[in-house]
Amino acid sequence: MSLPLYYYLAIASIYILMTWALYLPYRVAHLHFMVVANMAISGYFGGYAATQWGWPFGAALLAGMLIGALLSWLVSFGIGDAPTFAVVIVGFTFIYITKTAIENWDLIGGTMGMFGIPMVKNLLLYAYLFVLVTGIFIYRFDHSRLGRAASAKFVDKDLATSFGVNTKHLGMFLQTWAGAIGGACGVFYAFFMNSLFPDFFTFHIIGTTMTMLFLGGYTTMWGPLLAAPILWGLPLILPTSIASWRQIIYGVILIVILLLRPEGAVTRQFIRKIQVKLKLVKLA
Amino acid sequence: MGQNKTSDKVILEIDNLAVSYGHVNALKDVSLTVNEGEIVVLIGANGAGKTSIMETVLGVNQVDSGTIKFQGKDITNKPADKIVRSGMFLVPEGRGVFSSMSVTDNLLLGAHHNLKGSKEKMDYVFSSFPILGERKDQVAGTLSGGERQMLAIARALMSSPKMILVDEPSIGLAPKIVNDIFEILVQLNSEGYSILLSEQNVYKALKCAHRGYVMETGKILLSGTSEELLNNSEIRKAYLGA
Amino acid sequence: MEIFIAQVINGLSLGSIYVLLVTGFNLLLLVAMIIHFSFPVVVVFSMYMAWIVLGLTGNNIFLGVAAGISSAILFNIITAPMFQHIMKKRGEVDINSTMVLSMGLGMIITDFLSHSINSGFPIAFPDNLTGRAAGPFIQFGLISMSRGAFLALTVGIVFVTGLFWLLYKTKQGRAFRAIAEDPNGAKLVGLPILKTGLQSYALTGFLGGSTAILMAILLGSASPGLGDQLGHKVLAVSIIAGLGNLKGGLIVGLSLGILEALVQGYWTGTWSNAIAFVIMLIAILVKPKGIFGMKL
Repeated sequence: MSLPLYYYLAIASIYILMTWALYLPYRVAHLHFMVVANMAISGYFGGYAATQWGWPFGAALLAGMLIGALLSWLVSFGIGDAPTFAVVIVGFTFIYITKTAIENWDLIGGTMGMFGIPMVKNLLLYAYLFVLVTGIFIYRFDHSRLGRAASAKFVDKDLATSFGVNTKHLGMFLQTWAGAIGGACGVFYAFFMNSLFPDFFTFHIIGTTMTMLFLGGYTTMWGPLLAAPILWGLPLILPTSIASWRQIIYGVILIVILLLRPEGAVTRQFIRKIQVKLKLVKLA
Repeated sequence: MGQNKTSDKVILEIDNLAVSYGHVNALKDVSLTVNEGEIVVLIGANGAGKTSIMETVLGVNQVDSGTIKFQGKDITNKPADKIVRSGMFLVPEGRGVFSSMSVTDNLLLGAHHNLKGSKEKMDYVFSSFPILGERKDQVAGTLSGGERQMLAIARALMSSPKMILVDEPSIGLAPKIVNDIFEILVQLNSEGYSILLSEQNVYKALKCAHRGYVMETGKILLSGTSEELLNNSEIRKAYLGA
Repeated sequence: MEIFIAQVINGLSLGSIYVLLVTGFNLLLLVAMIIHFSFPVVVVFSMYMAWIVLGLTGNNIFLGVAAGISSAILFNIITAPMFQHIMKKRGEVDINSTMVLSMGLGMIITDFLSHSINSGFPIAFPDNLTGRAAGPFIQFGLISMSRGAFLALTVGIVFVTGLFWLLYKTKQGRAFRAIAEDPNGAKLVGLPILKTGLQSYALTGFLGGSTAILMAILLGSASPGLGDQLGHKVLAVSIIAGLGNLKGGLIVGLSLGILEALVQGYWTGTWSNAIAFVIMLIAILVKPKGIFGMKL
């Protein structure tokens, strides 16, 4: 496999997972940007554990997921049932504090970054296996009673309560899950790149993943799966002079999709049409 | 019944009006007129389309077909603020007063399009509704239901309207206060305001109105003078329990 | 003690900038019914426009100030139809979409500033605008106040007083408050919703443009990332106070300014900025609906 293709596929898997990590809490209308902070914290932890303590990749991944889940879980006691804007600002604040901490902590490289994270054989395969397993879990969730309750809560909080679901617990559960995925993304990213810089974990990841979520469509898990590889690949095939405007391109795409097709490219009706075509379900 | 003399001059004319919300037809083929100086009442159960007519006349809902004329001018699909400016004011169902704002502020909102002479209008309103004058600096949220209804009516007067639409004024009020409100409406009518009223309290409404229209599921079933309707056996059975 | 007083005074100047930004943000939230997260980014954009015009006109202060104020008003009015398109209904989901739209606009502005203006390096405003060369404006021992700090504080007080006067004593303000409380009811009494909404975009544009000039004077410089940082603080202040709560925003905005100034006065280093964020984080986690209650 050529090196550019390898990196394309590697980062594409990260973006798919990160967009799913945003997708899950957005099922209850939470834009949980804290997953970016989870990614940074777990990534640095995994990198440090591998370089200093000689941990194997698997242990680092597991620990990264646990740390991500634990942090998000603790925070979710405050914002598991909070209004969207409060969730947003907690995410931003966590990212800011995390970045400041990393930049000022010489033990993990400070602004210079962390180097020498070991290579792992077949990492790309593990990454896509992880995508597959996560995808299966999300699919199962979306088609469960909880998933339907989440859809109800997105539209109307009181309606969700009538499903007999504790909306705070549901929000906490989704935020915790998203935190675990964010943590895993950090560890994968650290081992893919073999180095980490605090500058990566900033607002541009939020902009990028948010555009992927809204372009693909936030009502089904398939939207992010489709939009993440396309949007991440788009600047790679454009000439460099245009590709350097990546964030502006993403911003314009985000605004256009919000104005013209607020539910995104892949909607529930769209999925249903495909299922009918493929004769997976009968016409209702 | 102490009613005002009416003229034959039409002030509001609705012709074959149809309105839908999405795929739901709210009004079908509705035609009605209100003459100058009349009280006309719309009778019907919840969801019969009374509020839809009021809001459509005021320009809140999109008209699918048909025309609405006010004082001889076509106002179909004109924006609400233009229609209010031209001399029509709605007293909405559930009062629609702004509970975080003072009584004075609520009244001045009625005069938003023409603040000239609002001082005199306010004095006039306070002389008609002394209780509002006593509470003019209180926020509307502290008023009782009846006082709020008076505030909503007084606010309409602040705009110096030619015509007042009153949507379900008796809802949620004690019978004694309902009588007061109807008395106020008759009094206003005798001062020259044309009134289109919607009510579920059929007997009282017909007692004070000149004419009435009976609505069901977005259509007009029957119309006639108040006396005709009060004597109509079907209406007596359906609405008056006799 | 003198350091303490000096820092409190500095904090009040900084705080009045926050108050102006939060008030503009809250007005848009209440009257136009949008969460304009990137409102401070628009303000920083206006600082850049003022800087460009200052450079082109040989530091003509009048034209620079005019450019700063007018670009914020123009930007707000040009983007208003996009927000109004999304904000047809007033539901939680729609209001979230306006926040995402605002973030999209912020992404574009920030990237534009970091690509195309001064090669992305921070910009510095000329001395004849900031008055740095003239030395402190007021001085009592250790307690001193620069011209910028003095201006920020006085203009802040004048503007906020003016704004509350406008809201509570004028016809337009009455309409603003009515729409903020109940947009449907406001429509039924014949208030022109779209026109009043547009007025709020213009008013907040004016407020934002003026804040941009004050920031240019007080800070003396700007960088592309400044808008994101401020946007973040303004949303945090607004949430801690209670979203849409104007008086709460006043108190919390000033407190944040004083807090930051005190931290910087006693504790130097890159960590000082993070302390304010940690305190904000705790406040939001403990009370996600704000101290003074939401006014939505």
